[in-house]
Amino acid sequence: MILSISWRNIWRNTTRSFVIITAVALGLAAGIFSLAVMNGLTEQKMRTAIENQTSHIQIHEEGFTANKDVKLFLKNADIIEQHLQSDKAVKAFSMRTVSTGMVASSKGSVGLQLNGINPESEKQVTYIWQNMREGDYLSEDSRKPILISSKTADKLEVKMKSKVVLTLQDVNGDIVGAAFRVSGIFQTTSTAFDKGNAFIKKEDLQKLLQTPNQVHEVAILLNDADEVPNELSQLKISLGEDYLIQSWKEVLPELSYLSDASMQTNFLFLAVILTALAFGILNTMLMSVFERIKEIGVLMAVGMNKLKVFNMIVIETILLSALGALVGMLIGIIIINWTAQHGINLSMFAEGLASYGVSDTIYPSLSVSFYIMLMIMVFVTALLSSIYPAVKALSLRPAEALQGINN
Amino acid sequence: MSVIEITNLQKIYNPKKIPVHALNGINLSIEEGEFTAIVGPSGSGKSTLLNMIGGLDEPTEGKVIINGVDISTLSGRQLIDFRLKNIGFVFQNYSLLPVLTARENVEFIMQLQGRKKLEYKQRAEQLLEEVGLAERMDNRPSHLSGGQQQRVAVARALASKPKFILADEPTANLDSHSTNELLEMMLKLNQEENMTFIFSTHDQRVIDKARRVVSIVDGKIEEDIFTSNTVDLKESHEN
Repeated sequence: MILSISWRNIWRNTTRSFVIITAVALGLAAGIFSLAVMNGLTEQKMRTAIENQTSHIQIHEEGFTANKDVKLFLKNADIIEQHLQSDKAVKAFSMRTVSTGMVASSKGSVGLQLNGINPESEKQVTYIWQNMREGDYLSEDSRKPILISSKTADKLEVKMKSKVVLTLQDVNGDIVGAAFRVSGIFQTTSTAFDKGNAFIKKEDLQKLLQTPNQVHEVAILLNDADEVPNELSQLKISLGEDYLIQSWKEVLPELSYLSDASMQTNFLFLAVILTALAFGILNTMLMSVFERIKEIGVLMAVGMNKLKVFNMIVIETILLSALGALVGMLIGIIIINWTAQHGINLSMFAEGLASYGVSDTIYPSLSVSFYIMLMIMVFVTALLSSIYPAVKALSLRPAEALQGINN
Repeated sequence: MSVIEITNLQKIYNPKKIPVHALNGINLSIEEGEFTAIVGPSGSGKSTLLNMIGGLDEPTEGKVIINGVDISTLSGRQLIDFRLKNIGFVFQNYSLLPVLTARENVEFIMQLQGRKKLEYKQRAEQLLEEVGLAERMDNRPSHLSGGQQQRVAVARALASKPKFILADEPTANLDSHSTNELLEMMLKLNQEENMTFIFSTHDQRVIDKARRVVSIVDGKIEEDIFTSNTVDLKESHEN
C-alpha cells in the first residue's frame, strides 16, 4: 500500500512531477551522451594505439624499452616465434628490429624511431597499410624503400620517390648511414605517432645495424582483447622470466592512465550532474511535503508509524528520480546508438583531434556496466535527496500538523 | 465503565516565553456508549482537550487514562500503536487520503493494523455499506461531496474497531442536509453498536443531539450537563 500511495502521490501535481522528471531525464541524457563521446574518444585513442603501434602484447629483451639499445636484441627469437605460431590465442604477430635514428633530406632532418618490419606479417598485426596516402606498403620490388608519414614528408619537404638519408648507430656504436627512397607516405589519426615513426624492411635495418636476423620486439595481436591478462601470464610461464613481456597498458602506461583517468573524470562529471539534479529533486519533495503537512498529520494521528511515513517519502523520491533516470537513459541510449552507427563528424577540429590521437569522426560508446553504475548512482542520489524531506515529515507533531503548522 | 478518565489535565503552550494556558485542570470521565459534545467558543481549549484524549499532544500536567492505560507512560511508538488500536479519528476537513478511493481509505487503516487481505476487504465494504456509500466505494474523495467524505472518514475511524471515536468539529464544513445525515449515521452507530462518540463542536445541531454536553471556557469545564436527549433515530431523521 505504501508503494501504491507513493506512486499515486507523484501524480498529484502532474506539472511539478513532469518538470522534475524532464529535468532529470534531460540532465542525464545530456550527461550520458557527453560521457559516451568522451568514452568513445578514449576508446578510439586506445584502439588506434593498439592497431598502429603496440598490439595487445609486446616482448622485448629486459632493458631494451628504457633506452632502445640495439645491442639488447631478443635472445632465442626463433623459439619465441615457434611458440607463438602454435599458440591458439594468438591471431598474428610481427617480429621487428627497432632503432632510433635520423632521417634527412636536403631540406631538413628529423629524429624518429625506425621500425624494421616484415610487411606481410606486420600487415596482420597493425593497420598502417590501410592508412597509406600515397605509394605502397614496402613492396618487394622497390630497393631500400622507406615509409614515412605525411607530417615527416612535409617537414623534410620530400615526396614519393624522393631520396632520404638514414643515419643511426650500429651495434658497435659506429655511426652508419644509407640512402632510402620514399616508397609510401602514411597518415594515421595520431600526429604523435606519425611524427615519431618510419618503417623500413627488417633486413635493411638489420644490415645497417649489423645484426643479421636479430629482432628487438615482438608485437602480438590476440584473437580476443579480453584475454590479454591470461595470455600475458601464460607467455611469462612458457617463455620464462628472461624477457620483458608486457600488455599494451604496460607498454604505453600513459594510455592506460588516460583510460583510468577518463573513467574517473566521467564519474566525477556524472556526480556533478547528479548533485545538481539532487537539489531539484530535494526542492520538489520539500514542496510536496510542505503541501501535505495536514495529510501527514492525519496519517500520523490515525496510526501510521514514523518508519512508514519516512518510507513513503523515500519511495516517492526514488520513484520520481527513477522515472526521470529511465526516460533519460532511454533518450541517451537512442542518441548514443544512432551516433555510434553514423559517427559524429568533427572534421572542423580534425587537427586538434589528430594531435590527441583520434580520427575526426567520433563514435560514442558506453558499456552496460556503466548504465548499471549510473542506476546505482541515481538510486543513491534519490536516497540522499529524500532524507531531508523525509526527516522534515518525521519532525511534524500530529497535533500541530493537523492544523497545517510546520515547525 | 469509564472508557476515558481525565484527571487535573493542564496544557500550557510556550511555558518559558509567553505562557498560554490552554487547559486549566480538566477532570472528566466518559463512560462507554456516551454521545458527548465538548462545546465552547473558539480558543476555549476544545481541540486541545481532544488532542490530549487522542494522544496527539502531551499534557503539561495531569493524566489521561484510556481503558485503564495512562497514555503518558507510553513511548512514541507505543502511543501510535495504541491510537491505531483504540481510537478512531474524524477530522474537520474530511482528511481522507486524496490519492486513495473511499474503499482504499478504509482498508488502509486495517492494513496498518496488519489484518489479512480478505478480512480488510470484507470489512471495508461492510462499513461503507453501513455509512450508505455502497455505490461510491471506488470513488476518490475529490469525486465525493463533503458529507460523503465525512461518512467515509467515519467508516475509516470504525475500521480499526476502536474503543471510541474522537470527532473534531465534524460538521463544520457541511450543509444542514449532510450534517443531519452524518449525525443520523453516528447516532445509529452509537445506539446499535454502543460506540462511544466524543465531539468538539459549536454546531447547535450536534449539541442538540448530544446526550452529554461539556462546556469549556478558558480551558476549564464550565458546565457538564447530561441532557434528556434520547437517541430517537426516527425523530432525528425527521428533524
